[in-house]
Amino acid sequence: MQLFSCPFCGPRDETEFHFAAEAGKTRPEPAGEVSPEAWSGYLYAKSNPGGPSREIWQHVTCGEFFLMERDTLTHEVAGSKALRGQRP
Amino acid sequence: MAEKTVRTGWDLKRGHDAATKWTPTPDWRSAAIVRSSWSARPLHGLGQTLLSGDLDAARAALAPNASEAGLWQVAEGDALVRIARDRALLVTARPLSAPAGWSPSGWATSAADDAWAVIELAGESARAVCAQATSADLEAGSPSAALLFAGVTCLLYRTAPETARIHVERGFAPYLWRWLETVEG
Repeated sequence: MQLFSCPFCGPRDETEFHFAAEAGKTRPEPAGEVSPEAWSGYLYAKSNPGGPSREIWQHVTCGEFFLMERDTLTHEVAGSKALRGQRP
Repeated sequence: MAEKTVRTGWDLKRGHDAATKWTPTPDWRSAAIVRSSWSARPLHGLGQTLLSGDLDAARAALAPNASEAGLWQVAEGDALVRIARDRALLVTARPLSAPAGWSPSGWATSAADDAWAVIELAGESARAVCAQATSADLEAGSPSAALLFAGVTCLLYRTAPETARIHVERGFAPYLWRWLETVEG
């Protein structure tokens, strides 16, 4: 069992979380001028690093999307951060 | 040449009892689990109102005395059970008659009186039963009462030190009740 930390709920079992996306991807704009190759890269291509990575995860039970920094080789979680500033 | 029997979809339906595939629904009017150190019973008639947006303003307007409840926290009387930063389930002794929809004050209500089934666990082993259902640290003070409980999303808090409430989407209630029936104690 591995614990992930939701910025709102705190540490919870990994089974309560879903991977959402790699962090830092920017939607290409304007949509009408984006090539199929660029859309494909945005939607499907992942860098999938071995080692430190920054990812967007969702805590399914509360619905929060957040940034998590973890090591994909050691599974060590460096930290998590809310994507919006609201009351704790 | 032997005659070949063709079974149509209708024939298959007539010989098939789909109800046997599903977990039998308990008779909620009389359902009860009684063990030596804990018991479970369904609660009926509570008001359940889903709140979104400015929760403080919503509470002030609808149930000013409601106390906020996170995971395993004790809330006596009306309870504002936190689900997320901007979402909570307001649990009251009776259904509210609040109109559904957005308020100009920045919050919204959705009547959910029958959306969740409510099960009460009581007794000195109620905590141990809950600990079997989740790996969450019950004493850690999580502000959200939402968690995976026996594999399904529930809200878990207490109304007294040895009395816990579980809110589960009504469709999962028969499964959760059968799961509780497997727990000794």
